[in-house]
Amino acid sequence: MSQFLLVLVSGVASGAVYGLMGLGLVIIYRATDVVNFAMASLATLGLYVAVSLHDRGVATVVGVLAAIAITVAAGMLVRETVIRPLGQGQLFSALVVTMGVSLIAESVAGSIWGDQPKAFPNLVDGTVRWSGAALPVQSLVTIAVAAVAMALVGYLFARTTLGSAMRAAAESADTARVIGLSSQRLARISWALGLGLAALAACLYAPRSGLVPTALVAPLFRAFAGIFLGGLTSMYGAVLGGLTIGVLDNLAANYVSASFRDTFVFSFTVLVLLIRPQGMFGTRTFQRV
Amino acid sequence: MFRIMRRFRRAAGATAVLAVIALTANACADEDSAGAGGGDGSEIHIGAWLPLTGSTAAYGGPQKAGADAYFKMLNASGGINGRKVRWTVKDNAGDPQQTVQIARELVGQDDVVAIVNANGTSQAEAAFPFVLDQSKVPVLNEVGGSESWFEPPRPGLFGTQTLYEDQAAAIAAWAVQDGAKKITVVHSDPAAFVNVAEQVEPVAKKLDPSVEVDRVSVKYQTTDYTPVISKVKAADTQAVILILTSPEAAAFVKEAKLQGLDLPTYAYAPVAAESTVSLAKDAAEGLKAVQLVKAPSDSDPAVKEFRTAMAEYEPDETAGFLALWGWSNAKVFAEIAKTIKGPVTSQSITAAYEKASKVDPGVSPVMSFSASNHLGTRSVQRVVVENGVWTSVGDFYTPPARD
Repeated sequence: MSQFLLVLVSGVASGAVYGLMGLGLVIIYRATDVVNFAMASLATLGLYVAVSLHDRGVATVVGVLAAIAITVAAGMLVRETVIRPLGQGQLFSALVVTMGVSLIAESVAGSIWGDQPKAFPNLVDGTVRWSGAALPVQSLVTIAVAAVAMALVGYLFARTTLGSAMRAAAESADTARVIGLSSQRLARISWALGLGLAALAACLYAPRSGLVPTALVAPLFRAFAGIFLGGLTSMYGAVLGGLTIGVLDNLAANYVSASFRDTFVFSFTVLVLLIRPQGMFGTRTFQRV
Repeated sequence: MFRIMRRFRRAAGATAVLAVIALTANACADEDSAGAGGGDGSEIHIGAWLPLTGSTAAYGGPQKAGADAYFKMLNASGGINGRKVRWTVKDNAGDPQQTVQIARELVGQDDVVAIVNANGTSQAEAAFPFVLDQSKVPVLNEVGGSESWFEPPRPGLFGTQTLYEDQAAAIAAWAVQDGAKKITVVHSDPAAFVNVAEQVEPVAKKLDPSVEVDRVSVKYQTTDYTPVISKVKAADTQAVILILTSPEAAAFVKEAKLQGLDLPTYAYAPVAAESTVSLAKDAAEGLKAVQLVKAPSDSDPAVKEFRTAMAEYEPDETAGFLALWGWSNAKVFAEIAKTIKGPVTSQSITAAYEKASKVDPGVSPVMSFSASNHLGTRSVQRVVVENGVWTSVGDFYTPPARD
């Protein structure tokens, strides 16, 4: 039982990270039709700034806030300089551009901070014992922080005027413009929100993985699996898809094989998509011919 | 307002373009070791490909710094028999295809007499047909390699690095000597790791037939070791052997500490790196491993010389294990090249290596080569993490022969 609990908590913590990252991807995609491959690399820049501050004696929480600020600033710079000039609806061009930006960001990080792995501090150290299992407090904090962030995003979109405007613009940018909403302003806010969530997810993930320029490639990969599983346009789907990936990944490693955890998880994803191509919570779109 | 935005965008765009150009230029630049010039007989021109950028840059940079420090120190004291060493390093970003191009530049344009102290197994193998077979230029002291490189010996190919398979044999012997009757080998799942992990059981059983060995295969680059630790706990084992990368091993020992798994843990040389300790912090305490060189903190005069040279010539680089690998390989080359009477050519270097016996770099095992043995050593140094620092244990150790 204690072993199952450990594996489950660890899986939920990993899934929370994938869910947060996936949520950021979906918010940006819905608002601007951009699948942002650069998100993880830009968040890595933020992580390096946080580590540099921590090494100079700055509190970890301040470092995390700085990481979020840097990631958002870098993301906005990328959007204004290389994404926005492409124009609306350039899905594949934007995809390639964000891939390029991702590689550049990784090179910049390697050039400035070097390629040697660096430790990223835990937000909280220690363990708590429950049902015979020593649960890492960091994992519990990861779950709690991610849950609060997701709840706030849910509140923003469901209960505020800004959220309603963002949803309206995501549904139809033209209609939103007609009723006086600035689609560019809303797109900027969406990018900032998405990148902020990615940076937060990165700060929760990095204590376990350590920090190298490519540290966030693996969680980004799983976040993508999560949003396809949950439904590319659904924020609930991104969260639940990420959580499903995290938990299944760990259960497969423990009860099937630690070597085939990816195989198991992605087989499950493929199976779900075969049955329901729009993902668990996605909506199927039809176009009039 | 719009003008300001337009200017801002232009400036930001230009900055981005400049950043790309700067990074590209940085990645493409050749780097020669200092203190040597010209291309005449007053110097020995050798070359190497190293991953100075890309995913394995963490290895290339320190290795280069260690070798550079040695060659600069050597050149400052007169070089090899009055000839200075010019070591041209080109960045292959860890890419085999790029390595082939670099090999053509080094051999065809730069006229190097040997490839010395390069890095990467698959990268070197991609370049062998051109460098070794077609150009007859020797490849010496490469970091990496496999058993097939030296069995049978290949003309012009000489190694100084104890094979990973022998490293596995050494840690198996260490665990058995410490009294372990049941050993669990935790290894990454690519074939390169599996092959090494498979060497543990035969050697352990050779030393003690009653020893049980089982293996846990883990997905490469796993960061969450919670399920793996649970499996190891359930196996009721007495010792753990890690055939993982340094970050993976750090993740393992951190999770083991969190879950209260307190077992003697052994690892092969890639784990015995400063990064393991910096990532795992106090969870790495007591971790045992084998290394190709003495610990950089060692009080041995040869290691002290390394630390002094690093402080003088490469003050921005850490005097760690990887730098010491580069230093050791450079020193072995220099010691053998010193025995050459007359011109230093590809042929004379190859002949000198075939006659080189009992080459003692001080920081690594004594190397002996011959026409039938192109791998200089099978020995390793045992190291353990004490007070957050890798520390040498005893002298160099030769593991039992593998079947």
